[in-house]
Amino acid sequence: MSQEVRSNVKEFILREFLPGEDPNDLTDDLPLITAGILDSIATLKLVMHLEERFGITLAAHEANKDHLDTIEQISNLVLSKMKQEACHARQSPAA
Amino acid sequence: MGISTVAVGSGGSEAQKAQEGAISLWNFMLVAGQLVLLLLLFRQFQIESAAFLRLAVLAFAGFAIHAFLPLAYRLPFFALLSLAGIGLVLGIANGIWLVAIGLVLIGICHLPLSFRLRMALLILAGATLVAQRAALVPFTWSEAIWPILGSMFMFRLIVYVYDLRHEKTSGTWAQRLAYFFMLPNACFPLFPVIDYKTFRSNWYDDDAYRIYQVGVDWMVRGVIHLILYRIVYYHLTLAPSEVTGPAHLMQYLVANFLLYLRVSGLFHLIVGMLHLFGFRLPETHNRYLLASSFTDFWRRINIYWKDFMQKVFYYPAVFALRKFGTTNALVVATLYVFLMTWFLHAYQWFWLRGTVLFVWQDILFWAILGVLVVANSLYEIKYGRKRSLGKQARTWRDTAKLVAKTYGTFWFIVVLWSFWTTESLPEWFAMWRVLGGDYTFGVLLFPALALAVIALGTIPRDSGVRNVRASAMAANDWIRERAITMVAMLALIVVSVEGVSTSIGPQIATFVHSLRSGQLSRLDTAKLERGYYESLLAVNSFNSQLWEVYSKKPANWLDVNSANLKRFVPGFTRNELIPSFVSNTKYGTISINRFGMRDQDYAEKPAAGTYRAMLLGASSVMGWGVSDGQTFEALVEQRLNAKPPVPGFARFELLNMGIPGYDPPQQMVMVDRAVEFGPHAVYFVATGREISRSVRNLVTATLDRLEIPYPQLRKFVQAAGIHADMDEASAVKALMPHGPQILATVYGYIADKARMHDAVPVWIFLPQVRSGAWEEETAETVRIAETAGFVVIDMEDIYRPHDYTKLRVAEWDDHPNAAGHQLIAERLHAELIARRPQILTTARTP
Repeated sequence: MSQEVRSNVKEFILREFLPGEDPNDLTDDLPLITAGILDSIATLKLVMHLEERFGITLAAHEANKDHLDTIEQISNLVLSKMKQEACHARQSPAA
Repeated sequence: MGISTVAVGSGGSEAQKAQEGAISLWNFMLVAGQLVLLLLLFRQFQIESAAFLRLAVLAFAGFAIHAFLPLAYRLPFFALLSLAGIGLVLGIANGIWLVAIGLVLIGICHLPLSFRLRMALLILAGATLVAQRAALVPFTWSEAIWPILGSMFMFRLIVYVYDLRHEKTSGTWAQRLAYFFMLPNACFPLFPVIDYKTFRSNWYDDDAYRIYQVGVDWMVRGVIHLILYRIVYYHLTLAPSEVTGPAHLMQYLVANFLLYLRVSGLFHLIVGMLHLFGFRLPETHNRYLLASSFTDFWRRINIYWKDFMQKVFYYPAVFALRKFGTTNALVVATLYVFLMTWFLHAYQWFWLRGTVLFVWQDILFWAILGVLVVANSLYEIKYGRKRSLGKQARTWRDTAKLVAKTYGTFWFIVVLWSFWTTESLPEWFAMWRVLGGDYTFGVLLFPALALAVIALGTIPRDSGVRNVRASAMAANDWIRERAITMVAMLALIVVSVEGVSTSIGPQIATFVHSLRSGQLSRLDTAKLERGYYESLLAVNSFNSQLWEVYSKKPANWLDVNSANLKRFVPGFTRNELIPSFVSNTKYGTISINRFGMRDQDYAEKPAAGTYRAMLLGASSVMGWGVSDGQTFEALVEQRLNAKPPVPGFARFELLNMGIPGYDPPQQMVMVDRAVEFGPHAVYFVATGREISRSVRNLVTATLDRLEIPYPQLRKFVQAAGIHADMDEASAVKALMPHGPQILATVYGYIADKARMHDAVPVWIFLPQVRSGAWEEETAETVRIAETAGFVVIDMEDIYRPHDYTKLRVAEWDDHPNAAGHQLIAERLHAELIARRPQILTTARTP
């Protein structure tokens, strides 16, 4: 699952923001926000993609370099959110 | 001592943890050696203030200890060092107050109460401080701490509270103290808004030596920015009244914008210094002259501010509003950010200056910039923007397009910036009329320079990636950056050595010398002299040296204008000293006699055998800053009476007709009164900028619709076509070409009046107790005085051998103090004795 998330995120970033760039240059630990690759508009686009693709909801304070700076961080956040949402779904009373 | 050149982070083996923050002795010596050179550079160029130099010594000495402490002790050490820095700069008592207030604010954030209740208490505490800052509620500490207290807490507390709300851990007390009281802040009221999470997470997250070295690089870069700033500040800035043609307009616009180099220079110094203590903070600016769009400009200039707004205001707004559509949310959030930027700018102004800022150019600037950034953002959403992980491949066409966009953005920003920083909107609008003037090749100079800088700047770099860890840099890049730093430092130090710059040439030596001090520019000195800083509304004044001088002045400081020595009188002179009035000031007693002179009482006419001279001048002559009997006039009189230098006069009387604020044209009225006292001589004491002050005096009289009682002066006003409905800059511009003739008319009148009453006209040049900027008109003024037939006593060099800071009342008040008056009296007495056949003449029988 982790690998699937990473691949999806990497493919999205390359397609949306780095067309024509060598995919090998986009490593999992490249700091995207700190390095100026992702600005606020790009970060919001990324957030929208993650929420739509993985069915999670991010909060405003998570749209920052502590959570979305590298592909690894993004992947960890998505997985943790998916786990959280699955946990909430299990704990909700049945309809 | 450990050896480590490996990128480090939290976690890992015990051995690795032990190596975290470690530095080899060799690398330490490399860094320490550069810090010694940096101190020399700070000293040679008098970077910032003496307080900053002391703080830098403390910081660098602290670094030497800090670098070898076990990691667990470094933050507490840095926090203690920061507290020591506060005491060093502000004094122990002020330091204690500042820290105590800060601890209360931080403490409130951590009370065992709900978040809401803590915020309510914080708001209450903040409101109390606001009321105290506004002087509505009394306080027991010195005013001096407000700008620094404000600087430490006004924004960082917002960031801190935001992180408290959203983070599981808020850090240790050492981190909190270090964050709020961080060392460089004691010296700099203007400070970058450092993010709390970044401050913690980036601490020693890379090889220690590399972090320190980047810090040194940035401090050197900061010094270079500050020196470039001085070139602009001293040599390129123009007053609006000096913009007389299109070429001047280009110079004015570019120079005005480039004054921002002070902010970028200071921020580099600050963040560089923090690197020495392990804080691998990101860059504060990113080549803001090369912005190719308004969003690009916003992202490049003051990056910490942009990040602060993004974190606390932008993202929360977008996320709250996105149910209305992402694009709508983005537009509203962007406008919200610029509204908050305007508000927080005014909020900062309040803390640093103690007054409320509400000027239209400030509101409009942020509104216009906000709309432009929104428009740009919508464009970017639709069309995207180019990004690259490596060197950007560009065609010539791409490059030309980029240069054109950058050039256009630069000029738009420069014009908008001039609008934002203008002190008078009518003056700003009037200034643009010069575009209808004569076009020479000079008009191309600044546009060509800007184009050259932008074209060079758009050459693709090796990587489009910023803020990389230094340990991840390629070896060649690392070595190249080190070489640049060392060469820059050494070159600056070498050229600052007087023998070296003199050997290159006298003009180079003079130019280098002008950059080696932090004096006020000629424009700011003129403002200080006019007391203009009191009403300074230039919204970008935080980076102004004049504002910094002014900000040190206590609110209850007694200056010559607030001492209530004068009363209003209708007409050209506007005011006069109150006759038969005594005031006890902090400088001693000021007694005004029945004739309205700051002097002892005298008979209306001199007795037989008494030599009498009337002294005309302004506040330096009157003797602001010293007590009765300490003025140079009184001291010279004492000396002459103690040992009469000429036979025929048993007694000497010098009558002090100095009136604070009087300009040369007003002295025409004074000489009319002076001759009624039957003097043997009239001594006119001139200070700097006699021509400019004469022009401004007539402009002010015209704009205030005062009648100018001398037709020979009115003719200049008529010839220049100035009238009461003009803005001041345009009126000054129109009248200034007549300046030398105006002064010649004034001097001619005074000299002729004296001679008509058988008095010897004597012109004495007494410079201000401030080096440099007043000197520009002196040579011409001396010539005018000589042509008018005065006996000229030029004391231009009187303060040069001395430390003038010991001869003036205060940094913001350059009247001579008691020691200054002693020096003046000694010199003037000697000059009078040397010229006694001409001046202390017995030729006239009273």
